[in-house]
Amino acid sequence: MNNRNYNIYFNTHTISGIIICALLYVIFFAGSFAFFRNEIAAWQNNASYKTYKENHQSFDKLLDSLKGEANLHGRDINFYMHREGTSAYVGYTASNDTILNKENLSKITPEQKAEKKKGRRRRGGDDDSKNFTYNFVNQKVGDYAKNYDMGEFLFRLHFLAQLNQVPISVGIAPFGYLVAGITAFIFLFALITGLLLHWDKLVSNFFVFRPFSKWKTVWTDMHTALGVIGFPFQFIFAVTGTFLIVNSVLALPFSKLLYDGDQQKMYQDIGVSAKEDYAYSYKSLNKDVKIAPFLDMAKTKWPESEFLRIVVKNYADSNMHVIMELEPHFNSSFAGSGILTVKVADNKIVEEKSPLTGASYGDYVRSIIYRLHYGDYGGYPLKMVYFILGVMGCLVIISGILIWLVARDKNNVIPRKRKFNFWAANVFTAICLTMLPVTAITFIAIKVSPKVDQDFIYRVYFYAWLLLSLYYIIRRSIRRTNRETLLVGSILAFIVPIANGLVTHNWLWKTFVDGQTDLFIVDFLWLMIGIIGLLAFYKTKKFFQKIQ
Amino acid sequence: MQRFLKITAGFIGGYVVMLSFHVLLTNLFEKKDVVMTAGFTGYLLWAVLMLLAFLSKSGWKIWGIYLLLAAVFSLPYLLKM
Repeated sequence: MNNRNYNIYFNTHTISGIIICALLYVIFFAGSFAFFRNEIAAWQNNASYKTYKENHQSFDKLLDSLKGEANLHGRDINFYMHREGTSAYVGYTASNDTILNKENLSKITPEQKAEKKKGRRRRGGDDDSKNFTYNFVNQKVGDYAKNYDMGEFLFRLHFLAQLNQVPISVGIAPFGYLVAGITAFIFLFALITGLLLHWDKLVSNFFVFRPFSKWKTVWTDMHTALGVIGFPFQFIFAVTGTFLIVNSVLALPFSKLLYDGDQQKMYQDIGVSAKEDYAYSYKSLNKDVKIAPFLDMAKTKWPESEFLRIVVKNYADSNMHVIMELEPHFNSSFAGSGILTVKVADNKIVEEKSPLTGASYGDYVRSIIYRLHYGDYGGYPLKMVYFILGVMGCLVIISGILIWLVARDKNNVIPRKRKFNFWAANVFTAICLTMLPVTAITFIAIKVSPKVDQDFIYRVYFYAWLLLSLYYIIRRSIRRTNRETLLVGSILAFIVPIANGLVTHNWLWKTFVDGQTDLFIVDFLWLMIGIIGLLAFYKTKKFFQKIQ
Repeated sequence: MQRFLKITAGFIGGYVVMLSFHVLLTNLFEKKDVVMTAGFTGYLLWAVLMLLAFLSKSGWKIWGIYLLLAAVFSLPYLLKM
């Protein structure tokens, strides 16, 4: 490699890295926990979904109970299934029947209207549509903010959804998503330049680890060794992450150029969504309105699959349709997407595509992208490996910041710049490293507090984060930030399973024996973090004193 | 100025080249497959083109090359219109 190219790789790698480091750390840290978001949600509510037996009758029960509050006739009802089919985002639209719709609207009291306006998610405007969450395990209806959980919080934090509150709009995506997308793309760029930078010494330097000489070599060796080992993993996440968060960057122009601007048509063509335009007929259905038989039908056809989305079109109308989108269970098929649409009046199958066989090229690509990103194709052992690799990514980022600082901390650098460099590294490390104790504190808080909703989690997490970061920024000692957050974080990590045991009496050995693996895994994860954290703290103690 | 040209050539020029290249591919393969594949090849190609812009000797030259490539790639599409 000639010197010019080397310098270009070096500079572009450094600059792109230092721009995104803090955001990328947040993404990696929160993302690592987000692998377990369903488990965290179950853990928080102390309601295991692993022991739940699927029963399609509960869909009809839910719909019956909805009739008490609204006339469902002619509405479209959506179920977005998650947590292995034990929980759903449910939404119904305004009635497709214009006459009924007027009737429904006239019934809305001004209070209800005001209530709806106040809601956080301002969708639907002035009609009487409604969105809520439903938990099939404990059969609880709730609104989004009240049922908000830590799994959801960390999942959304990992693509910076909370930043969407910033009222800057660029057109293609909300602010937070855009920032996350740009970060992911710059990360991809930094990965490529980083690999090329080390290409010549990839093999020879792989086994070099000189932790006991100088600070700079400690950080460089850590950065390269972990960076090279984790490269394939991080590369996957850079690519799939960019795709998942800002694919409108590609989807918009493609639909403009290739599909005459019709995005809906494009998504149907690439097989993401089923055909849905079934017209309302203004004739009532002459039979009992039940959807459970159709769900059963899908499950008997393809037992090794799970519902992704269920749409009930034109409820109780003679042109009522039940549209089901399914995905295969990872044990039976890696890729695939299935559709089953049934016309309720005559039980006729209108659209059918098996999730288990005949996966198209597009299905394969999409499954690879999604499965590789979510790590949902191998059970808990795989998720653990993903978690460890994710945390390794965090270490690469931190050591990268420290190399950047140490390399510029020389006498020939002018004092003003040195001051700025230290200031930047100090702020970055304070923000990044406090995430561990803050996350642990919030996990404890949601167990101890009797009432937990979105506001509560936001307040605990963001205020604790702000306070701790400010403290370490003012403290101006990166070494202290490093040591203390590790120690405090590990101790708090131990307290998480203890707090859970004390509050719920579901100690981790009990959940393990009872087969509630989803509850067990969260306690176990924190216990491991505590043990490894403390080991790391004591093992490095001497070394830190010697090298100073 | 050179640096500005290279960054814009890589980011904007690279994007246009990547997009026109995938549109060109729709002449060879089914368009739904190309759209799906672009989900990862698109971002990879874009990132590589960005790096190539930094490696080039002159910002003007790389802008010229990228614009030329984009024009050539989109010829079949423009002819069909």
